[in-house]
Amino acid sequence: MIEITCNDRLGKKVRVKCNPDDTVGDLKKLIAAQTGTRWDKIVLKKWYTTFKDHIQLQDCILFQTLNITRRRHKIRYEIHDGMNIELYYQ
Amino acid sequence: MGSSSKKYKEKETRKRRHRSPSRTYEEEYYEASKEKRHKHKKHHHHHKEKRKEKNQRQEYESDSSDVVEVITDDSQSAAPPKSSNRSPEASSQSVESLSIQETNKLRAKLGLKPLDVGNSSTSSASGRSQDDGKKKDDLGEFYHKPAENLQAKAQQEKVKAKLAEIREKRQLHNKYGKVKTLGEEDSNDDVEAWINKNRKIDEAKREAEKRAKMLEELDAQFGIGEVVESEKREKMRQKYTERDLRGLTVEHDLDTFREESTVVLTLKDSGVLDEDEDVLVNVNMLDDERYKKSVENKKKKILYNAYEDNEFDEFGNPKEKSLLSQYDEEIDGVKRDSFKIGYNNVVERKSVIHSVKEKLAKKKIESVAGIQLKLASEYYNEEELTKFKKPKKKVRKIRSKGKLLTADELEEQPQNTGIEAIGSRRPKYKNDPDLTIDDVPSVDIPTDLKLEEDKDDLLEKALHKTRKMKQKENIIENIIKPEIKSETEEENIDSGNIILNATAEFCRTLGDIPTYGKAGNREETEELIDYEKDIIPDENSDDDCEIIEPTGWNSVDPTNQGIDSTQIPPQEVQILDEEPDVSTGVGAALKLAMSKGYLDKEQNNRPSNSRLAHLQAKHYSIEDKSYGEEGDRQNRRERYSGPITDFKEKDGFKPNVKLEYIDDEGHILNSKEAFRYLSHKFHGKGPGKNKVEKRIKKSVQEQLMKKMSSTDTPLGTLNMLQAKQKETQSPFVVLSGSKQSQSTALSKSRR
Repeated sequence: MIEITCNDRLGKKVRVKCNPDDTVGDLKKLIAAQTGTRWDKIVLKKWYTTFKDHIQLQDCILFQTLNITRRRHKIRYEIHDGMNIELYYQ
Repeated sequence: MGSSSKKYKEKETRKRRHRSPSRTYEEEYYEASKEKRHKHKKHHHHHKEKRKEKNQRQEYESDSSDVVEVITDDSQSAAPPKSSNRSPEASSQSVESLSIQETNKLRAKLGLKPLDVGNSSTSSASGRSQDDGKKKDDLGEFYHKPAENLQAKAQQEKVKAKLAEIREKRQLHNKYGKVKTLGEEDSNDDVEAWINKNRKIDEAKREAEKRAKMLEELDAQFGIGEVVESEKREKMRQKYTERDLRGLTVEHDLDTFREESTVVLTLKDSGVLDEDEDVLVNVNMLDDERYKKSVENKKKKILYNAYEDNEFDEFGNPKEKSLLSQYDEEIDGVKRDSFKIGYNNVVERKSVIHSVKEKLAKKKIESVAGIQLKLASEYYNEEELTKFKKPKKKVRKIRSKGKLLTADELEEQPQNTGIEAIGSRRPKYKNDPDLTIDDVPSVDIPTDLKLEEDKDDLLEKALHKTRKMKQKENIIENIIKPEIKSETEEENIDSGNIILNATAEFCRTLGDIPTYGKAGNREETEELIDYEKDIIPDENSDDDCEIIEPTGWNSVDPTNQGIDSTQIPPQEVQILDEEPDVSTGVGAALKLAMSKGYLDKEQNNRPSNSRLAHLQAKHYSIEDKSYGEEGDRQNRRERYSGPITDFKEKDGFKPNVKLEYIDDEGHILNSKEAFRYLSHKFHGKGPGKNKVEKRIKKSVQEQLMKKMSSTDTPLGTLNMLQAKQKETQSPFVVLSGSKQSQSTALSKSRR
């Protein structure tokens, strides 16, 4: 079980417990249940990566490019416990 | 939140879809709370609103999936899905989080499997990785070998060690379990039992004795006693002897046992459970060894042997040295000398054999047959010559006295002597040490020069002397006078050198002055001089060499001085050449003129090539270097004789070219002037008026200078003086001021 924090920066911040083998769609439904939105209107993002519905959380790979010393570093992440995901609405 | 204006409400309803969801959420929240307590007026509005909303939600329900239903459920169920545990760190924002139970309920509604709480996320992840037994690379390309579990391994090892220990214990127990310990044996603690036991033993002994006696008697009766006795003797012989000691190890050096001395050896202490064989030691010797060791340690040997001197064992073989041998003992344990009783000879022999073997192993095999005998040559052959490196010649220091000799001067030196020889037919006066002049009679061109200080004059002279003697020996090979032999032989100067000291140099320059203009003369006379040099010593070889030596410069040994002076009457030294007598004829006059430089030989006028030929490079010829090898070049030359070929018929032709520039007035120009002249001509632009005047003036002055008398001042004061003296008939002239009287007359005499 992992717990993920989702935050749209408009006053909503929820912590959702889920399994790592849940899909992003499932996560969205859970978030929707807690926030009271329609799940298909939810967009989950981390930086510029939008997570797609059919992918399991443990397989979510997000490439993060950092501009450190003008070289682009790609850093990979999975969705892990305690991670903060940006919550957007379509 | 909810605004009271109706207008707004309408808007809200219209734009419901596009509004932020937070709105709806909060409305719901309020709604939930409202149901419990009705406090505010506002809520009425909310209520209305909510109703509307509900309607709308019904709409949603119609088209959307069950998810929405769940939401409604949630909102309806009083069990707070927003039983918000507000995280303390959450700043202003509220963090909504459901408990696990709630989430599970929710998940069930959503059709998801419940959370796996017991095994945390990590365990589940690991379980997943264990599914296939292998772990994929980050990129999913390679399978990684699972890492071994160190903890499990350690545990296994622990268990194994424990098992092994137990096994060993059991073995030992089995082995020694039957042996009774000393304490156990005295199990009979009470006195009575002990007494009884002893009594029994005693009785048994007595009985045995009795029986023995009886048997003896019987034996005696039947004559078996002798047999028994012999057997006994046998047994005695079978006692513990040397033979039984054979093979026992003694842990001491064999050399420590002195011959014909008794040493008591005891069994060395060892662990009871050790299975090693017995070892004999002597306690005193052990102590000695320990003492030796401690002394050795106190010495503080220097471990580092800088020069890597090989140490030798007692047989003279170099010891094999291991790396950091000082730690061998600590690593491998102390090595102890030991030998086995009964194998002594073998041991010794073995060591000898070992030493021989070592020697053989360390030596390279050199075949005797391979080397061919050769006669040792006194000379190097070419190969050896190339190998032989010549020691560098030390550059002789030239302590110059300011004047450096030029190549020309060097060339002239032998000639000088010749001329002086001509000038002075008489044997030279040798008494004056300051004027002794030495030179080399040999015709070799001198290679080295040495200028010496006056200080070591005497030594110098002695050296000159010996050197000269040596040279004479070379010239007159057959005659070796005992006198010469007896002289000190301090020969350390090469015979090819010329040694110049300051005096000699001075004298030489004195001699040079009159003959300076005569340089051209010498070539002709040179041959003659050489000839004379060769002949004269032969003629006079019977006499004292020193006296009759015709060479220009001679030296006198100060020791021999007395003898010489008695033989030859002192004469005036002639430094300059004898002036030819002009009165004898025109030839003599010409000679004089030439020697004085009044008259130049025509040969001297031009810088002839032949005169300077000796300065030219000997092996130098201008050829086209682009041609290949020698033979090739010749071939080509034969084939194609172009303009490069030498003129064979003009072989001896050496053009004597002299470039002279003459200006308009007929003056001979030097190079600088010539350049200026040509330059002016070339550019078509002459010098300015001032320059021209200046130059003319200069030339006039030069003319005047040339015409000027060398014996008088330009104003002719000397002439005037002489005239005045003639007039006054006095050897002096009175210089008098107008004011002063005659009394202050100064006289000036001419010397």
